[in-house]
Amino acid sequence: MKVIVEAFNLKKTYMLGKVPVNALRGVNLRVESGDFVAILGPSGSGKSTLLNLIGALDKPTEGKILIEGVDISTLNDDQLANLRLQIGFVFQFFNLIPRFTAKENVELSMAIAGLSKAEREKRAENLLDTVGLRERMNHKPTELSGGEQQRVAIARALANNPKFLLMDEPTGNIDSKTASEIIGLVKRLNEEKAATIIMVTHDQRLASESKRVVQMSDGLIVQEVVN
Amino acid sequence: MKAQDIFSYSFSAIKLRKLRAGLTTLGVIIGIAAIVALLSISQGLQNTITEQLQRGFATDTLIVSAGGGFGFGTIGSSNSGFKLLVNDTQIINEIPNVVTSVAIIQRVGYVKSGETSLTRYLVGVDFATYASIYSNTFVAESGIIPLVPDSEMIVVGKRVSDLWGNGTLFCIVSDNVDILWTNATARPPKNETYTAHVVAVLKDIGGLGIGGPSDFSIYIPISQSQVFFGTDECDMIIVKLENDDEATIKSVSDAIKEAFSGQVSVTSATAVLNILSSVFSTIELFLAGIAAISLLVAGIGIMNIMIVSLMERTREIGILKALGMKSRTVLMVFLGESIIIGLIGAVVGIASGWGLANVVAIIFRRSGVFMGGNQAVRGDQMTITPLLTPTVTVLALVFGIGVSVIFALYPAWRASKLKPVEALRYE
Repeated sequence: MKVIVEAFNLKKTYMLGKVPVNALRGVNLRVESGDFVAILGPSGSGKSTLLNLIGALDKPTEGKILIEGVDISTLNDDQLANLRLQIGFVFQFFNLIPRFTAKENVELSMAIAGLSKAEREKRAENLLDTVGLRERMNHKPTELSGGEQQRVAIARALANNPKFLLMDEPTGNIDSKTASEIIGLVKRLNEEKAATIIMVTHDQRLASESKRVVQMSDGLIVQEVVN
Repeated sequence: MKAQDIFSYSFSAIKLRKLRAGLTTLGVIIGIAAIVALLSISQGLQNTITEQLQRGFATDTLIVSAGGGFGFGTIGSSNSGFKLLVNDTQIINEIPNVVTSVAIIQRVGYVKSGETSLTRYLVGVDFATYASIYSNTFVAESGIIPLVPDSEMIVVGKRVSDLWGNGTLFCIVSDNVDILWTNATARPPKNETYTAHVVAVLKDIGGLGIGGPSDFSIYIPISQSQVFFGTDECDMIIVKLENDDEATIKSVSDAIKEAFSGQVSVTSATAVLNILSSVFSTIELFLAGIAAISLLVAGIGIMNIMIVSLMERTREIGILKALGMKSRTVLMVFLGESIIIGLIGAVVGIASGWGLANVVAIIFRRSGVFMGGNQAVRGDQMTITPLLTPTVTVLALVFGIGVSVIFALYPAWRASKLKPVEALRYE
């Protein structure tokens, strides 16, 4: 299997006022193509920090991250932006642009990538169809339920054929019934579309659907279980 | 990201806050409108005045008068006792580059036809020479200007014949009118009078004249004026030059001053025009400066609004960056918003400024600003046609957009520098 993400001895120290906080204290992780990794752990264990580092949204204090073999610390600002184009992010709070419709939100990431309007529209419609929102693609986020918004966010994450998906508590902000739908969708993406997924979650049910569970505590990976 | 997509993204952000963007745009509109209105009025005014001056006043002429100034209030002799005489033209005609010269004696007098009498300038000139110098304006509309006139012959300006320009005729060619003048220097003051014969009415001249013919004057032969006013002293001598080169004007001016031992002043029409146009440029600059301040205020408004909008949209910027938008593109999104505001503001501002200028011009025309009433400068009602030159239009456009962009640079730069992870965490 092709290695997509590799992290070596990742450390991240924040300054919380004048107090240094060691969010990560030496994490090693290896994710292969088609993998579905769930990162579990209590609040403050460094899960989200790890995800942000892998997603090139933040820089580690120490250690390095290779994405498809490229050390991302060597990339400049523009190259990092290009890398993020190829990573599909799904956030706990959806992070859709409120003034855009579902379809326009999905189109946005393709517009950033420079796709033409016609291409964008066609692809956005297909993606919204995949996540089961064809009927509601002209609604704005405020007119959609939490689960629907998250499905729009997943469609948006898939828009530019990402190398892998990063999900930060994708069911953390929706009710359990809707969460099952999202879990089903994520699992289907992994199984049918062979999408590589790295997911931070509190949700045991969601974690149990993954192929591998990584348990974090105090900025370290303490346990790895293959389901 | 394609430029067109950046622009439509910027536009969607503006549309979201219509009132706020509208008020910001209003600031730009007011600034641009003020500049455009002021500049187009002052350029129109400048054009009107220059045009009218040029009409009544040839650039290849000099005005010689005794003492200082060119006749403003210098009736009769100057303080030094120096007198400029009618036949001093002979001295001036000897000077190289002088084509000819004509002496003018003018007094305020009355002209009476039937029961009506008017106060008018009585101007004594040599008809033939005057006509040769002002060949475009000292031209008869009716009758003939006699080159060798009899003493009782007079030529009248258009507004002496057709008083208000509406057909109310005071006198026409071949009428007899009474000329009256009060000799206030005689002891006791004495009224002089004679009956004159109108031989020609000048065509409509309009505008201001310095030394040149005017619609409001009555022209009598120079020899008659010498007898009637009892003097050989003239008020000014108009000198026609070979050409209107600066060197010619200077050399002849110097030669004339030298010939009269520095006791005359020589004014060139070109010099007056130059002074006027430099005065106008200064006024224009001053007015534009005031208007520019309002644009500056608008710029600060833009900056303020952009900073507020930046804070509100911190999270949005985080999303855009997480989706892979480059910092440069984020900068362009924000600048795009200011370009749209600046463009709309400038276009609407130019249009409303132009409208404002026309309204002002109409009010100006109605109230009828009257210029004139001086011995040397006379004129009739002025009309201002506001002038919007392409330069002003382009400048206003560039200025409106420029100010918007400059003041948006800092907020846009700040937006582009936001760290994605921090921006996403922003509530």
